[in-house]
Amino acid sequence: MEKILLKNIENPNSADIREYQKTGGYQSISNAFEMQPRDVIEEVKSSGLRGRGGAGFPTAMKWNFANADPKFPKYLVCNADEGEPGTFKDRPILEKNPHLLIEGMVISGYALRAEYGYIYLRGEYPLAKDILDNAIAQAREKNYLGENILGKNVKFELSVYQGAGAYICGEETALIESLEGKKGQPRSKPPFPVNVGAWEMPTIVNNVETLSNVPYIIAIGGEAYSKIGREDCTGPKLYCVSGHVVKPGVYELPMGTNLRDIIYKHAGGIKNNKKLKAVLPGGISTPVLPADRIDCLMDFISMPKHGSMLGSGAVIVMDESVCMVKVAHRALKFFEHESCGKCVPCREGTGWLRQILGRIESGKGKQGDIELLSDITDIMSGRTFCPLGDGAAGVVTGMLRHFRDEFEEHIKSGHCKLSIDN
Amino acid sequence: MITITINGKNIKLDEPMSVLKAAGKAGIKIPTLCHHDALETYGGCRLCVVEVERMPKLQNACTLIAADGMVITTESEVISKVRRGILELLLINHPLDCPYCDKAGECELQDLVDKYGPTVGRYTEIKRKVPASHKDEIFVRNMDRCVVCTRCVRMCNKVQGASAIDIIGRGNKSRMEPFSSASFNCEYCGNCLSVCPVGAILSRLYLHSFRPWQIDREVETVCSYCGVGCSVVVQVRDDSIKRVIPRFGLGLNNGLLCSRGRFGYEYINSEERLKEPLIRKNGKLEKSTWSEAIDFTAKKLTEIKNSHGGDAVAGIASPRCTNEDNYVFQKFMRMACGTNNIDSVSRMGFASAQKYLEDLLGQGVTSNMISGVKNADTILVVGGDPTAVNPILGLAVREAARNGAAVAVIGEAKGLEKFKTLKVVPPVFREAELLESLLSEVAEAKDPRNERPAVDQGISQLSGGSAGVDTGELKKILLDGKSISIILGSDLVQRANGHRALFAIAGLTYMLEARLTLLSDRPNEQGLIDMGCLPDTLPGGRPVTVHDFRDKFENEWNGTIPENEGLSLLEIIEGAENGNIKALYVMGENPAFNLPDSSSARKALESLDLLVVQDIFLTETAEIADVVFPSSGWAEKQGTYTNLERRIQLLNKAVGASSSMEDWKILKEVSIKMGYQMTYSSAEDVMDEIATVSPLYSDLTYREISAGHCLWPYHGKPLRGEINELPASAEAPEDYKEDLYLVIDKPLFHSGSLSRKSPALRKICPEPLLRIGPGHAQKLGLKDGDLVDVSTSKGGFDVTLSVDDCLGDGKVYLSNNFEDRGVLSLMGYRLDPVTKAPGIEGCAVKIQKKADSSAGSDKS
Repeated sequence: MEKILLKNIENPNSADIREYQKTGGYQSISNAFEMQPRDVIEEVKSSGLRGRGGAGFPTAMKWNFANADPKFPKYLVCNADEGEPGTFKDRPILEKNPHLLIEGMVISGYALRAEYGYIYLRGEYPLAKDILDNAIAQAREKNYLGENILGKNVKFELSVYQGAGAYICGEETALIESLEGKKGQPRSKPPFPVNVGAWEMPTIVNNVETLSNVPYIIAIGGEAYSKIGREDCTGPKLYCVSGHVVKPGVYELPMGTNLRDIIYKHAGGIKNNKKLKAVLPGGISTPVLPADRIDCLMDFISMPKHGSMLGSGAVIVMDESVCMVKVAHRALKFFEHESCGKCVPCREGTGWLRQILGRIESGKGKQGDIELLSDITDIMSGRTFCPLGDGAAGVVTGMLRHFRDEFEEHIKSGHCKLSIDN
Repeated sequence: MITITINGKNIKLDEPMSVLKAAGKAGIKIPTLCHHDALETYGGCRLCVVEVERMPKLQNACTLIAADGMVITTESEVISKVRRGILELLLINHPLDCPYCDKAGECELQDLVDKYGPTVGRYTEIKRKVPASHKDEIFVRNMDRCVVCTRCVRMCNKVQGASAIDIIGRGNKSRMEPFSSASFNCEYCGNCLSVCPVGAILSRLYLHSFRPWQIDREVETVCSYCGVGCSVVVQVRDDSIKRVIPRFGLGLNNGLLCSRGRFGYEYINSEERLKEPLIRKNGKLEKSTWSEAIDFTAKKLTEIKNSHGGDAVAGIASPRCTNEDNYVFQKFMRMACGTNNIDSVSRMGFASAQKYLEDLLGQGVTSNMISGVKNADTILVVGGDPTAVNPILGLAVREAARNGAAVAVIGEAKGLEKFKTLKVVPPVFREAELLESLLSEVAEAKDPRNERPAVDQGISQLSGGSAGVDTGELKKILLDGKSISIILGSDLVQRANGHRALFAIAGLTYMLEARLTLLSDRPNEQGLIDMGCLPDTLPGGRPVTVHDFRDKFENEWNGTIPENEGLSLLEIIEGAENGNIKALYVMGENPAFNLPDSSSARKALESLDLLVVQDIFLTETAEIADVVFPSSGWAEKQGTYTNLERRIQLLNKAVGASSSMEDWKILKEVSIKMGYQMTYSSAEDVMDEIATVSPLYSDLTYREISAGHCLWPYHGKPLRGEINELPASAEAPEDYKEDLYLVIDKPLFHSGSLSRKSPALRKICPEPLLRIGPGHAQKLGLKDGDLVDVSTSKGGFDVTLSVDDCLGDGKVYLSNNFEDRGVLSLMGYRLDPVTKAPGIEGCAVKIQKKADSSAGSDKS
């Protein structure tokens, strides 16, 4: 497949506006400005683009909700708080292809009649911060940003806002709170950000990868774009593969590529001739898939049918040497640390799960612990304010579903079989 | 119309609301921990889950907006299981120290666990420990009991507006903390205490001193501190007050209180309370009996009246006493003593302002409701800080500001610093000119009203001069307002030309069709006026000089009312000084401390032939009296207060006081001995008479008052007594050129006589502070916390300096609340010729750092 999102990234100067322009960059802005804003949204609608942040919500539908709200100003926020463990798909765009994102935001801002854009950037991406700042300055100099873009009387101002390291700020309402200068905690929905978002104004929050698809959609038309990928899940997708594979990295492939192909064909298979044990297909929050269940199409529609989710497309591959209790424990340590504390099930549940898992892992598991774990995940599932708690519970549920015997073994024998075998 | 079904019950809703609220309206209780009706929705506890038909997941009733046709179930096995699970999670880190925790018995978590909770816990890991914090003088924080419902934070930040606390930490390390671990923003309202569902925030006033179920009785009454008149519940055990709390749904304060109201009740139990009558014998006050003291007083008063005439006697009434006390007081003065020389410290602000404003605009003009302030779109605050003088009224201003109202402040109002739209500080003591120029500008922009000749005439005669401050923005804010509230404090009245500023306020009220509120720092200033404790007015605001009114009262009262106007407050003191006044009867007031130039006032009082004092403490005035009667305090008596909105509210007796007597009863006994009959056997009898004679309180009964919503004129008609001609104006304003002036401070934590006998308030603020702006402090080489000598032509003393960032240069602020160090003792006055209020202005002051021992002794 032709590279769309990762085009030119082998070029060491790909972040420079001149390089970007050389290969047709920023031409979609002129094209889009020839259209009515609502026609731009129609084009995105016909492309079938879905949000790449994890939920896969149809982008044009979100845009139309915001568009229907009569309040102004509207804000366009790019969610670049790439914090899901295992996820690094946005990073090459931010660091190597920043103008693609900027171009996407200018077009999206035009479509949405939003004159202010923010890139909410992960606090741990300092390099991207410099690159983006520089790219924004270049774009402003060339009149792709500002009061009167390309003399077409279109205004769009863009700036980068750096997060402070909280995972929860990847959740769009917590992101907005943080953007407003408050503590990052999710808001209750409804009202949704498209109606009441930043500073109580309609706010469209889209992922980096989502917005970066927009220039290409304008360039080739929504209809043509929709031919990429699968019928109801279109376009290119960035899969970032990590763990025990020969060639970890970010792969741009058509949406709906087979997970087995991603691991074996593209990422070179399992390292050191070991056997595959399990895969977290879309980041740590998505339920684990054991080795015999990886024949599935990696898109938003297919994955739930296989008991997991596409999530951010972060494929974490684990070979036979990995202790699943340890993985669960490590994951819950993360979720406990990142729980914002707003709602009870997540605040108290993550810590309790972590403590029990820690005990089991260190050989102090007790009869009844597994039942207790699933009781706690039962209480948490669907009860939490935002998906963080659901994700935490889902990890444990998934592990218990596919690797229950490993947990039982730990409790029974008081130690990890793998650590002795290896 | 939205129709929903909850537990099979059809509920019709007029407006969209949450399922939780809708259920509450229908009497269906859904358990919650983080939700509170007074606070914004949070949705954190997840206990209010309900089942909704056609929704796959359980929903939170607090955040779910009821939609037409929703079918909701609030109790089911699935729901109970979830609630049990959530409660189990809440308990894993909760200490389960109920036997030790003060909250047990009124703990919402305890009650919920009792109803839904697991009987056994499954948590075997180590509980999170957070040491209790006893750092604060008032609050104890037990953060390991905290359930992070954030009610306290939402209360502090969004209702009280103090923003003194927040949740720090994340996840299960979250806990409430005051900023910088200090309490510098805390207003000590204690409203966080009211909403904390568990024992995480407790009051040290009653820590471990009782259990909620050991309360013998609860009495609903009205707070004794300021003119707002908040409803409080007094909880009593063994005839002693254990706690004073507000209650949501009760009174105009609806669950909120301020520091004075909540923590200032301990004076009632003070050891220093007067226990028996005292009579001066051989120059010393000695214990006496009731009958001896009453006989002595009646005999001496009769002698003085007979030999010097009734006008040699004067009385000072009290805005701390009830309507009943004050009614009997003025009747006693007029009928038994034969004089209209009746006034009170309200002359120094509220009463003077009200009289003059009513003369201009009609009776009742200052009776804006607190809810009216809350709903205003524009608020002008001048002459005082509502958040300090009348804190609950201050909250209404803050709420209005939060809802988008423009708040303009003229002068200083520290509690509104974060809420104001605009602050204009006129040059020292030049408020009147600023207001006059503002009025000219406003009048110019508006069509003339031509409804009140005196006001129209006054506006047309404005000189158009200015105080040298641009009023353009102020004018714009006022002209843009559609519903304007003006809040007026006593600073503006206490000027030699105070009536000019008052006229300007009247003019603004008139031209802008604004509503007016007078700040009132005593609980019954309005009632005292209504009862006729004024030298020129009978009960109901009827002028004493008008024969027909006198006639009516004389018929009711069986006697003769003197026909001349009596002396006003400071004229009484001057009368004592020059020998015209021989006897002074003081009820619940402390003129030797609470009047300007108080050392001269004290000397004048000492020269009297007879000084009678009824009080609850041996005040500076009582100390020099000839007779002292111990009267009943606020929680010890029944009666009524009329608040600054003119809402008549009932005080109920909460604790007994065997050694004291109600003020009206003491007066009655003295009156009878003097030969003027009074037959009341209860405060209610007095009210029955008031309801008969006062045109403003017609037909009022205690039963109706306790039902609430009694605002006067109650069944009666106000007298529209506006004048047609303006009184002559004072001389031109003085040019104040001194470097530094002393002005009166009205702090949040103290009111004076009562607050200084309340240990909790003294812990919050133990001593007087001289507040100064940072610029001027720097100029004088002084810093926060320095001990300074403050002196004026009237005297001086040592006081601690407090540098306050929100103050400008040229003025220092000091309160009149602490023994021996009242600001009024340092200040002289000139009477405003129109309002007779003391103009306390232009008091030049010197402050000098006290040399500390290490710096060597002062050789000069």
